[in-house]
Amino acid sequence: MMCMDRDDQAAISAVLAGDKEAYGVLVARHSRRLFRVAFRITGSEADAEDVVQDALFRGYQKLESFASRSDFGTWIYRIAVHCALDKIGGSKVPETMDRESGEMQIADHEAGPERLLLSGEIRAFQQMALSVLSPAERTAFVLRHLEDRTMDEIAIAMGIPPNAAKQAVFRAVQKLRSRLASLKVKV
Amino acid sequence: MTHLNAEELIAHLYGEGDKAKHIEECTECAKAYAALKSDMAEMDFPEPPERDASYEVRVWASLAPSLHSYQAPPQTWLSSRLRRGFTFALVCALLIACAFLGGRLWERKQTHRSSDITSGQKPRPVEETLPPERIVVVVLSDHLDRSERLLVELKHANADNTGLASPLRDEARTLLVANRICRQKTGPDDDPRLAPALERLNHLLEELANQSGSFNPVTLTHLQNEVNVDGLLFEVRVLRSGLPERPTAATGQTKGDTL
Repeated sequence: MMCMDRDDQAAISAVLAGDKEAYGVLVARHSRRLFRVAFRITGSEADAEDVVQDALFRGYQKLESFASRSDFGTWIYRIAVHCALDKIGGSKVPETMDRESGEMQIADHEAGPERLLLSGEIRAFQQMALSVLSPAERTAFVLRHLEDRTMDEIAIAMGIPPNAAKQAVFRAVQKLRSRLASLKVKV
Repeated sequence: MTHLNAEELIAHLYGEGDKAKHIEECTECAKAYAALKSDMAEMDFPEPPERDASYEVRVWASLAPSLHSYQAPPQTWLSSRLRRGFTFALVCALLIACAFLGGRLWERKQTHRSSDITSGQKPRPVEETLPPERIVVVVLSDHLDRSERLLVELKHANADNTGLASPLRDEARTLLVANRICRQKTGPDDDPRLAPALERLNHLLEELANQSGSFNPVTLTHLQNEVNVDGLLFEVRVLRSGLPERPTAATGQTKGDTL
């Protein structure tokens, strides 16, 4: 467990003692990091900004129940991950399993890969490929591959069992490779 | 040889599991792992756009209006309990102290009352139970010494000496009081001759103290006879010589009472 930053603890104590402005210290200290993870999960600058606002607001409201022995940065990071997960639809993203092929079919609201390939926008396709992952897969993959979090940290941040987090990362990698393979064939 | 599945390869890619040795030894798994690594390296995910320098200020500015201020608790639960505990302990300590002092006073009062009852007296007022203002300690040896001198002066007194009567009478009155105390304090451990001697001395001192004016020859002769006939002077000298000298008040034989 990480040690609580003294400045964070002092700011939290001040806020709970009635000094609302002290929360500005925590906002200044953590908002950039929250924005980065929010953007990676949502893939949208505007959504990431909303996630940061929402996470910091929830954090303020729950500050009384915050255990001062844990690290505020880790705590607010988990809240931001939850907010980002909510933002991209959480479990609301329609996913259907093809019972015959056993493959998972995911609704794709972005531009089709063929059109992107035809225009040579491979990078755009890769971004789109990330967006076709389920919210859980995308979040788990972002946290593991881009944020370099361990499986246990991912499980805690997402509020799921470690094995489920591991499976989500595995499925995400498989899907991304599959999309990339199809791109290479067509090219 | 059993080859690694996709999940194991992905786990190894992220530094989990212990398949490094197998990948080194197995050409097929090494090839599969290299393909996985290559695919993941080719994926180019967009980096989050940089925020400007005033980003934190803007976040706070938009967030602050929607936040309520926490109310500082007047005192924590713990401090409240501690304060209550200390108050209770203080009250208990005061009650115990009051009970102790009250008990001591009551006990002292009861002791005086019971001693009064035991001695057959009515309970005396508190002011009467206070220590006497003056205590006269009569030393037996001194008393016998002074009595001896009085008896000697009386034995050699002359009726013509009119100035002698008054000092002798005053000295007799003083010695009479001391003699009474000595008689009261005479115990079984004292010389058996002491009590009769003090009795006879008391009789003589009373007669002498009750004389008025100057001695007439008859009275003086009568008193001198008492001294001589009963051998009172001799007896006083014997008793006096049998007592040790009075080095200090603590070690001397004393007879005391309250006047």
